[in-house]
Amino acid sequence: MHIRTMHIRTSLALGLCLVFFACLGCGPQRVAAPVADRQAAETIRAGLVVAATAATGVGEVASSGAGWATLKGRFVFAGTPGQPKPLVVDKDTEVCGKTSKIFDQSLRVDASSKGLADVVVFVRKASRVKNPVPDTPLVFDQKNCEFLSPVFVARLGQPVEVRNSDPVGHNTNIDGTSFNQLIPAGQSTTYSPNSEMGVPKTATCNIHPWMKAYVLFRKDGYVAVSAADGSFSIPDLPAGEPLEFQVWHARSTGPSGGLGLERPDLKWSPKGRFVITLQADDVKDLGTLDVPAGSIGT
Amino acid sequence: MTNTPSFVHRSCYATLAFAIVVGAAAGCGKTQPASFRLNMVQATKTSAPEADLERPWEKWSQDRQSQVATILLAMFGTPDEPLALAESGLDEAKLRLAAGPVRSDIVGRKNGLYREHCVHCHGISGDGMGPTAAFLNPYPRDYRPGKFKFKSTWRDAKPTSADLVRVLHEGIAGTSMPSFALLAPTQVDALAEYVRYLSIRGEAELALFTYAEQELGGDEQLPTTREFLVDEILTPIVGKWAAAEESQIPIAAVPAGVDFGLPASDFANRESVARGRVLFLGDGGCVKCHGVTALGDGQANDYDDWNKTIVEVSKEVAGSLDASRQAPTGELSPEKLAEHRARAEWLHAFVEVLEGDALRPRTIPPRNLRQGVYRGGRRPLDLYRRLYTGINGAPMPGVGPSGPGGKGSVADAEIWHIVNYIRSLPYEFDGELGADRPMIAKDRF
Repeated sequence: MHIRTMHIRTSLALGLCLVFFACLGCGPQRVAAPVADRQAAETIRAGLVVAATAATGVGEVASSGAGWATLKGRFVFAGTPGQPKPLVVDKDTEVCGKTSKIFDQSLRVDASSKGLADVVVFVRKASRVKNPVPDTPLVFDQKNCEFLSPVFVARLGQPVEVRNSDPVGHNTNIDGTSFNQLIPAGQSTTYSPNSEMGVPKTATCNIHPWMKAYVLFRKDGYVAVSAADGSFSIPDLPAGEPLEFQVWHARSTGPSGGLGLERPDLKWSPKGRFVITLQADDVKDLGTLDVPAGSIGT
Repeated sequence: MTNTPSFVHRSCYATLAFAIVVGAAAGCGKTQPASFRLNMVQATKTSAPEADLERPWEKWSQDRQSQVATILLAMFGTPDEPLALAESGLDEAKLRLAAGPVRSDIVGRKNGLYREHCVHCHGISGDGMGPTAAFLNPYPRDYRPGKFKFKSTWRDAKPTSADLVRVLHEGIAGTSMPSFALLAPTQVDALAEYVRYLSIRGEAELALFTYAEQELGGDEQLPTTREFLVDEILTPIVGKWAAAEESQIPIAAVPAGVDFGLPASDFANRESVARGRVLFLGDGGCVKCHGVTALGDGQANDYDDWNKTIVEVSKEVAGSLDASRQAPTGELSPEKLAEHRARAEWLHAFVEVLEGDALRPRTIPPRNLRQGVYRGGRRPLDLYRRLYTGINGAPMPGVGPSGPGGKGSVADAEIWHIVNYIRSLPYEFDGELGADRPMIAKDRF
């Protein structure tokens, strides 16, 4: 009897040990996160709770010039693009990819001119805008279970007709907006973008997961997408003020898709930005812009 | 006792002694005061090395991340002492009731409600990564991106106070989120306010990191002025929360032939259910993901926004790391080589963060509508709202318009027929499915 009692005690003690170990745990190793500086935080806070003093001139771009100008150029891919990858099409196969196979459209290079398509060029901040917001709707269409515009740009306030030209239903889900709506076969709906995007966002269809396009909505409409031959042109830009341009490509290896180029004359940054001041009625041609193979990722 | 062999004594004492040693090692010292953890995925994602860095990348990124932590401390305080700037619209008294360690105050009122009821799943920073999170399916909500699923407002609008209180009060059926109906209304209110606080804080953090990535060059510091932190970072986020009440979607009148007082199978609802079925299979597009039989067996390999962020970042990092390993470093100039090294260092750090600071991504299956379990609530009104705007953060699209004045794929009043059809599904006579009835999940295993 005694021996049995002892055994029970031993087991209890062992159990206790296990409980201790369990309490110590062996959870996933989280990396050390940088911590805050308490004193510095109090100084900042003192500045935040004190009633704001007369606001000093914030860094708005002063409206300094007059007249309008155009910027253009042509992107040329310096590497050899691989064969476009066919995408896995496993839904609604009686419609999707039926007429033509569906390929990855994220890197489109013109075979003869080597022009790089779908590069987005836009002004980060402009003080003046020439044209009013057009009220003719832009069409963002999908057919054969593909978005017909790999990169779609629109100006805030301009109506966008999201169309479905397929005999099957699609939902168009634009990241960072309120838009994720089901569009029945052969129908369309109108959406009016109301918030500006800092970089292009994805438009996807959750029903057909291979479908992907990029969308950029900007307040001033100073946006261009390079054509199949790599050329782009932004007309009616405000002249006489330093304009900062952002250049973006879906497959760029730069931060947030910024496309960095070797153009010391323009001080082209690795974030894909450059600043230029245009003269009135000027048509500034940046010439051929070489995109090195290394700045486009897999 | 004389009969007891000595080895039993010995082993017993040895075990006890061992237990004491382990206990001592675990210790019972004063614990560290709680602190918020940085959103390390976002912090690392936005601190890709700049070309013109003069300091080593690791030092530079740590300095930037500490600066964000410091600003957040100034704006929002700590989990023990939350602070609310007047512009945040948050009620500091409510926050204090929810924040801090669990304790009772001088009149015996319970304080530290968040840590009593929520923290083990939602985490101290509201990142949905509390100690139990990894064992739960679905994962607890990460409040930091500021997205909420079950609400009465337009898709990208914030939930109203009533929406948050409702989720706390009812829990979320089919998930690990329990009901807190036993708490006093003031306590539920305090918790809803604290959720709003964590969400605003998380969104401010995201905005700061995005600003640093987008606007700052190599060695520039984030501005700490009131104009920047309050007007540019905080106000837009708070504005959305303030607009929640007036962002509620319109509710169409229930059309004739729909009687929610009667079962969906009742004769009175027969035509409405049939119409709902047509819409479910046709213009509503529900069939695409929920399947012909509504068992949730359509398109089923998608992710929700929270998981998708991790999936996409992981894919990108893995690709870049491969490319970085294959890059011919022999022919690079010293500057280019330094840049290459900084980038590789960043990618390796990123892999570690993704392993340690994110839960393993999971797909989100479309709901099996024959189970009669509805996460956002089972009232016809709840189903109407889910159908109208879709589910924010999830792949589920809306069949209503995307904003005021828009056009939906199904007319507002017709949505009630789909609601009626969905209501009928769990009780539909099995034989109606015919020979096409697919295997139910239970049969697959």
